[in-house]
Amino acid sequence: MSYSDKVIDHYNHPRNVGSMDKNSTDVGTGLVGAPECGDVMKLQIKVNPATNVIEDAKFKTFGCGSAIASSSLATEWVKGKTIDEALAIKNTEIVKELSLPPVKIHCSVLAEDAIRAAIGDWKKKQDSAKPAAVEAK
Amino acid sequence: MTESLATIGTRPLPEETHSCWSCGSMRAAHFCESCGKVQPPQPVDYFAFFGLPPKLNLDVATLEKDFYELSRRLHPDLNARGGSRVQEWSLEQSSMLNDAYRTLRDPIKRTEYLLHLEGMELEEQSKSATEQARATGEVKKQIVPPDLLEEVFELNMQLEELRTQKKMGEDDPALIEEIGKQKLALEEKHEALLDELKAGWKAWDALIDRGSAANAVERAQITGQMVDVLNRRNYIRNLVRDVNEALES
Repeated sequence: MSYSDKVIDHYNHPRNVGSMDKNSTDVGTGLVGAPECGDVMKLQIKVNPATNVIEDAKFKTFGCGSAIASSSLATEWVKGKTIDEALAIKNTEIVKELSLPPVKIHCSVLAEDAIRAAIGDWKKKQDSAKPAAVEAK
Repeated sequence: MTESLATIGTRPLPEETHSCWSCGSMRAAHFCESCGKVQPPQPVDYFAFFGLPPKLNLDVATLEKDFYELSRRLHPDLNARGGSRVQEWSLEQSSMLNDAYRTLRDPIKRTEYLLHLEGMELEEQSKSATEQARATGEVKKQIVPPDLLEEVFELNMQLEELRTQKKMGEDDPALIEEIGKQKLALEEKHEALLDELKAGWKAWDALIDRGSAANAVERAQITGQMVDVLNRRNYIRNLVRDVNEALES
């Protein structure tokens, strides 16, 4: 099996590798894993609380080239999107963009899971932060 | 009822057709009980091939004995003079016998095979769960518990550091010791998950014994639990393999 040029490009030049402070209220962290291949993927988003726009995204993935490329692409795509727009990203779009073969579809599923998990974490933080914010006023 | 020799074997035998193609008497699964000739293969699952109920606790010694006995009697060499159809059937039956034996003798493969028969695919399940999460907006339940994921992530960070150090020709005994410790802990978890899986076998076998196999809800609950355990176990197995590679390289 050979990787597509886009996968190789993301693999050699991954975008947005790194991490953010997971305790910050503006940051949502998604940590997901694929048992069948042992991959683990961490994706973090930084959200502007006023606009709900994802201003920054970082990832760190341990896994195959397709898993790294899928998460690298995911960070590129979520940046500048609102939370709702990011939730609309489908794994099949990642498959198409990277020309992933059928055996690597689970990598794109993992990337979608990571986006959802990061947004879920951020939402949870906003819900628990709300009462405190009201009190502060 | 006698079958026309021209058509037999070219279409699947109906379940109720249990007569020998050669002498017309009642046939057993693989051979005629009366004349002993090899019969056309039937599309049955591996458990049924060995005449076993679909249970997960099985006596491997008996299975092995049956395998050698069938292997001998189905052997294409032994049936070489039976004509081309008999030769073909003995070849097909032998091949199915080998697949069935290899699958059933290994407890993990046996479990995965049963889950497959029950329509549970380890990977498919996670994909459909993602689609469901997208449609409903609910958070997908991850197969791997968060604390295990944290552990896996941290260990991978350390492995990356170890590989970088090795590339530079450096050596950090403290890091190697730390990774070694985590590897031991993972191996213990791997063992513990086997016990959990065995509990699943027991529950499944009890269901089959009760004859309440048609209870779809209970069936799905037990198989779902086993899928979950297998997924976690595979994860840990792959991780231990990565650790070994990093330490040995």
